[in-house]
Amino acid sequence: MLLPPAVFHFLWEINTDLVKDGASVRTYGRSVHVLKFSEMVRLISYEPEGSKAILSGPQSSAQCHVSVQTTLVEPFQPTLGAQYFVLGEIEKTDGLSGVILHARALSSIDGVDLTLMQKAIMEQRCFFNERMPEICASSPL
Amino acid sequence: MAVNPGDADADELPSVLWGLDPVFSAYSRLYITDILQMKESRQVPGVYFYKTHPIFKVDVLGTVVYKREREDFYCYGVDDSTGVINCLCWKDEKYSDQGESTKSRDPSGSSRGFNIEDELKRLKETEQKSTVLEIGDLLRVRGTVKTSRDAREISATSFYKVDDPVMAEQISRMLEMPQVYRKCYDQPFQMPGDDLGGTAAGGSSRFHYLLSRAVLTLKEFFLEKEVARFRPYDVEFLLHPLIQSSSAEQESDQPGTSFATQIRNLLKETLSVLQDEGQIFRKIRTQDEVYNVTEQDKDLHTAIKDVLREDTKREKYAEKGCHVLHILSSVRQRYSQNLSREVLEVALTFLECNSDIISTTEAHYTVL
Repeated sequence: MLLPPAVFHFLWEINTDLVKDGASVRTYGRSVHVLKFSEMVRLISYEPEGSKAILSGPQSSAQCHVSVQTTLVEPFQPTLGAQYFVLGEIEKTDGLSGVILHARALSSIDGVDLTLMQKAIMEQRCFFNERMPEICASSPL
Repeated sequence: MAVNPGDADADELPSVLWGLDPVFSAYSRLYITDILQMKESRQVPGVYFYKTHPIFKVDVLGTVVYKREREDFYCYGVDDSTGVINCLCWKDEKYSDQGESTKSRDPSGSSRGFNIEDELKRLKETEQKSTVLEIGDLLRVRGTVKTSRDAREISATSFYKVDDPVMAEQISRMLEMPQVYRKCYDQPFQMPGDDLGGTAAGGSSRFHYLLSRAVLTLKEFFLEKEVARFRPYDVEFLLHPLIQSSSAEQESDQPGTSFATQIRNLLKETLSVLQDEGQIFRKIRTQDEVYNVTEQDKDLHTAIKDVLREDTKREKYAEKGCHVLHILSSVRQRYSQNLSREVLEVALTFLECNSDIISTTEAHYTVL
């Protein structure tokens, strides 16, 4: 069976319970901080093997911060303040950083129309919600 | 495996009608989750049903999350945020010879500023680059849906990497898909022309059907019998079988109109249509309703040819020929004031098919 699909989520949703641990997500945000961290398990120790970036949403409150583990998408040349699009798996830990997104695909999307993007995601969601009762009614394969 | 429409599941459209659904012939833009969940048709394996529409070709846009390379093809796992599907993208044979063409570079050819071979090579390389993707790239695939080993996959007929630096493509796709679904895929398939059978609901369309049959019947009659002139009652008998057969199908419809009235109405409409098309015309408007058939009227043809012959001798028209409107006014003076442009065009086309005249441009004619 193939990988599960990565559903679109906003950064502020990832920090809440809306997104389960281990779920595959797509999201986007602005990079604010790049640190060199250790391997994937431990978050805070300075060794050059692992790498981690932090993405923030438009409000840049703590709610909107998501840490991105970029080991799989190295070499990663970060530009602070640039917009990035990330696809990967969520890991919720009880540690200080909260939620970590293990990136499988990362690309720079500087210049993206943020309002339009948000509108498109909401429209797609509306449509899926409309279809949901019908899908539940018909027999799934 | 013959399908008896009586006992087949009421949901599935019979396969003879699939061609009538435009969605069937198009590369449908479905969400991958729908492609994965579509039911396979019981009638023809390889065709799937999304609601009431038969589908076998799809168009997807998504991120590559999985890549596998074999000798002849790449297998990319494409994720469009609703599902992930495998796409088999066949390698192009012309790119496999890439290594050989690089060696010989003709030194004499490089003396020209623009070396065509180099440019062609660069074009091929660019094309090839757009077909080799890595994880994280955006891929557009158009292809047929196949089921192999219980898994749905798309066998690509065309695929390419999409350059989407500001997510414009993905955003516009996200905005567009719900619209397409609402307007198209979620709409139940409507059978066109259900009223040809003569049900009560299709009164006017039944008439249109009769009208087109009547026009065709008359045209065939004119051609076969080489009718040059006629009066309406001469051709009335041709419409009798049409009315009789149609009234046999609908018994209780319109009991008020008599057979004669129906015939008269149909005849009037048919003659009007033929006049508008230019196939028939009335030379002189008198009480006597006499119609001339354009393609059979020898006098008209002669008049046109005379006009052309005389006028192309003049210097003004010698090279380019005469414009349709000029011919029209001349023939009107000579032959009949009631001639319409449509009639003239029908006559000119007829003469041209017989190689009596030729057209120099789309609206100019001259005589051979």
